Amino acid sequence: MMRNDPIKHVFIWPAVLVVLAISIFPLIYSFTTSFLSYRLIPPIPPRVVWFGNYTTLLQEPRFWNAILTTTLIAFIAVGLQYMIGFGVALALNARVPGERLFRVALLLPMLLAPVAVALVARMIFNPTMGPLNQFLSMFGLANLPFLTNGHWALGCIIAVEIWQWTPFVILMMLAGLQTLPEDVYEAAELENASAWQQFWGITFPMMLPISAAVVFIRLIESYKIMDTVFVMTGGGPGVDTETLTLFAYQEGFKKFNLGYTSALSFLFLIAITIIGVTYLALLRPHLEKRR
Amino acid sequence: MLRRTFLMLTTSLAMACAASQANAACSPDYSGVTLTVASQTGPYIASALKLGADEWSKKTCGKVNVVEFPWSELYPKIATSLTASDATFDLVSFAPAWLPDFVPYLSEMPKEMQSGKDWDDIEPAYRERLMVWEGKIYSQSMDGDVHTYTYRTDLFSDPKEKDAFKAKYGYDLVPPKTWKQYLDIAEFFQRPDKGLWGTAEAFRRGGQQFWFFFSHAAAYTNNPNYPGAMFFDPETMDAQINNPGWVKGLEEYIRASKLGPPNALNFSFGEVNAAVAGGQVAESIGWGDTGVIAADPKQSKISGKVGSAILPGSDEIWNAKTKKWDKFEKILPTPFMAFGGWQIAVPKAGKNQKAAWDFVKTLTSPEVSGQAAITGGSGVNPYRKSHTANLQLWSKNFSPEEAKEYLGAQADSINAKNVALDMRLPGYFSYTEVVEIELGKALAGQTTPQAALDTVAKEWNRLTDEFGRAKQLAAYRAAMGLPPKN
Repeated sequence: MMRNDPIKHVFIWPAVLVVLAISIFPLIYSFTTSFLSYRLIPPIPPRVVWFGNYTTLLQEPRFWNAILTTTLIAFIAVGLQYMIGFGVALALNARVPGERLFRVALLLPMLLAPVAVALVARMIFNPTMGPLNQFLSMFGLANLPFLTNGHWALGCIIAVEIWQWTPFVILMMLAGLQTLPEDVYEAAELENASAWQQFWGITFPMMLPISAAVVFIRLIESYKIMDTVFVMTGGGPGVDTETLTLFAYQEGFKKFNLGYTSALSFLFLIAITIIGVTYLALLRPHLEKRR
Repeated sequence: MLRRTFLMLTTSLAMACAASQANAACSPDYSGVTLTVASQTGPYIASALKLGADEWSKKTCGKVNVVEFPWSELYPKIATSLTASDATFDLVSFAPAWLPDFVPYLSEMPKEMQSGKDWDDIEPAYRERLMVWEGKIYSQSMDGDVHTYTYRTDLFSDPKEKDAFKAKYGYDLVPPKTWKQYLDIAEFFQRPDKGLWGTAEAFRRGGQQFWFFFSHAAAYTNNPNYPGAMFFDPETMDAQINNPGWVKGLEEYIRASKLGPPNALNFSFGEVNAAVAGGQVAESIGWGDTGVIAADPKQSKISGKVGSAILPGSDEIWNAKTKKWDKFEKILPTPFMAFGGWQIAVPKAGKNQKAAWDFVKTLTSPEVSGQAAITGGSGVNPYRKSHTANLQLWSKNFSPEEAKEYLGAQADSINAKNVALDMRLPGYFSYTEVVEIELGKALAGQTTPQAALDTVAKEWNRLTDEFGRAKQLAAYRAAMGLPPKN
């Protein structure tokens, strides 16, 4: 078949149209809804408010609080996931005894459903009946307000995120470490380079592209956190642990405020895009050096 | 051949007889019908629905599938199904406050169910007020909910405690008449070193918290001189939640949070019941479940020592019209019909509406509902006259003295002259969400009671304007039992 044979259109366009309809239509519908005052409950006929929903949101302290909370969770959790994950991957790559067992055991948290993890965590951090406070009280320590104080609750959520998603970082980093050429290290050994020098001079720079990808994926995923927060704190106390997705859920599925929720989703999309683009722009010079 | 034909005839006849006999056992016959009911996660309410389902299945040969959702998910699940007009649920069980949102999608109760002995047996507060929306009946109460007071009789009757209390506060240790006395009692019994705390209430966001706050505030805001003005001014629909009566209620609610077990801020109603039944607290407020669970020897450490009373009141109530405190000669008990009791209704989109209403009839019959009411953890509290009249029924769990106090508190509360009705408004979740958020901040000390309630009032007024002030005013007046405004 010739490359410019018009028959190709018959095969390509239906598929393109279907994909467009499935992926683009909801976006367009949602974007249009974001310019409306539209509630299902109580039923209010849709009314065009143009950028009204956006300006209301941008003036809403709760929105900014959700942005701050989500950013805190994402950056702290991903930062620690990366550091711990990289460390553990290095250890596993060094073929420590029982490495296979560790590898399986360390991957288990990632295989669990976030809701189940959050439920277990909620029990562990339960202020009165949780084993953690019972353990602390054995040493005469006071009960800690794990889920009833904003700062503690945020810390608990971050801890759970780290526990659950560090295995993902371990897995990716380990895969990366196993592809590194051994001759570079042999040369470094001949030059009497210390382990520390080998890490900063060889391993870290060579692992930079995969590190960038892993952190990027985890950062975007962390910004979408909902189930863990929903189960552990419900966004409370007050709105201290309310994330952007939970805020959107409350507006969309509790108050059925569709226009406002659509605007919120688009602001969320914009925020994620800005973070992603900035992150890649900051890393680009370092990544290009590796090429 | 003749023999064979005779044999076939006999067999067919026998089969027909057997079938008609089986059908006779099903009255009315709903064999082959499976009803799906949306409920909150059990045991509360879901277990009562299952009890009703078993009875209905025995009677009609139909089946009932109870689908459970966590409390915080129930509203969105039902609302999504109703607004989409799908037939996912044949019946929905829900809070009375959600009725205004659901009414456009519900079928009206059949007229034949709205009369007769069983109908008249329902307490008027439910039959004439909570079950009614704009003169029509769309749902049936399957639970009665009013907040009452629970206390430990062993502590209250201990001569040493009585003397010490009188010496400290200058009056007798008896169930409190005012909220000040309630806090005094809580303070008196606050003994963490002995594993005893003053009181237990729900304080957690999403844990039925705001109803406990409303119970405190009702005593200072439900003014009989200006009826229906507890939440909004019934003339203007201006929010009243930041008036001095509400602020006083919130201050006392915050004080109560400091007189509870450690981390009481994380308590939902379930934890309140556990604290009471575990003998951790001297007193508590909440729904009738508390008394039933605390009296049950299988679930409680204080069985046989459970006292009940009507909620404390006040002799000073804020008047939203004159913007002054009205002084009353006596303390006016103002029990709060918190939540108001679970309702069950049949969606218009349901495919088995006749069978569904028949199930409602069985579920809420005096016999089945009476059994549910005396079962600890069923979530069903008295809502029929027969529930509180029959002391014998309650002897399974309570001692005669306990039963007398418990049923007396229930009946007195429902029939109190100044009983406060819960808010029922379209967009209910939008109104209560901001209350929960600001209560959380006030309880954590991040804001003052006045500032928290000012924020709530501002948001309530904004929501009212967004939803349509005239429409909301009409709905609010209907919910408060006031005539339409001309």
